Amino acid sequence: MKNFESRWQRLVVAARKAPTVDEVAAPYGFATRVAARAMSERPPVLVVFGRFSVRALCVAGLLTLASGAANYLAFAGSADDEQVLTDPVSEVFTNAS
Amino acid sequence: MAEETLDLPACLERVRQRDQAAARELVEHLYPLVIRIVRSHLPRRVAEEDLAQEIFLKMFTRLDQYKGAVAFSHWVSRIAVTTCIDQLRAQKRQPEFRWADLSEKEAEVLDSVLTSDGEVAANDALASRELLYKLLDQLKAEDRLVLRLLDLEQRSVAEISELTGWNPSLVKVRAFRARGKLKKLFEELERKERS
Repeated sequence: MKNFESRWQRLVVAARKAPTVDEVAAPYGFATRVAARAMSERPPVLVVFGRFSVRALCVAGLLTLASGAANYLAFAGSADDEQVLTDPVSEVFTNAS
Repeated sequence: MAEETLDLPACLERVRQRDQAAARELVEHLYPLVIRIVRSHLPRRVAEEDLAQEIFLKMFTRLDQYKGAVAFSHWVSRIAVTTCIDQLRAQKRQPEFRWADLSEKEAEVLDSVLTSDGEVAANDALASRELLYKLLDQLKAEDRLVLRLLDLEQRSVAEISELTGWNPSLVKVRAFRARGKLKKLFEELERKERS
């Protein structure tokens, strides 16, 4: 079809002339109904879950850091003890002398 | 629209604190904007009030996601347009466009468009619009939307891009493909008319 574009445009121009409904105010009670429904609805489970997940992640991170810091000395000390206990060669030399 | 009288940031803050009166004010304030979008994209057989209500409920549900990067009315327009696209997608397309499905006036307009080069008569505007909607109903939801915004509402590519979230190249490609499909439909109709 050679004149598709001009035909389409003629139809569009004619359609644009059609009157539109100008009434734009909300019907009586519409806003009240929608607002009441929206405010009574609970937030979606996923949103709540997401919100708590982030908080839980932060708390878990802080607890990990705190526990690491509190037990650092104990870990470091036990590592030294282990090193002393698990050095059989120095133990043999010590006993021999 | 009561745009001058509503303190939008304060109203949004109250809505976030679950203030029902503020929510009502917000709906009343935005209703003209939403209903215009709904009316221009209204999928057939869907009541405009139901679709408007769905848009407002989505808006309230997602209000926490609004960070103020764009104008609030623009943000709401986008929700409205995407909701209309979803509705259009859910709608079954007509299996085939038939002359027999057109009213007498619509058939006259189509015949005039296909066979003559003159303007369509001014008193056939309503029939032209109905015919145009019926033709667009043959296309996919995204194709329908892009042609409606581009041709009927005379929006720019940039505006459509902002409204739909599609990048400008995608808008142009979609419009091009949609016109291609429409062209085929016109050819088919012309063949049927001749036979």
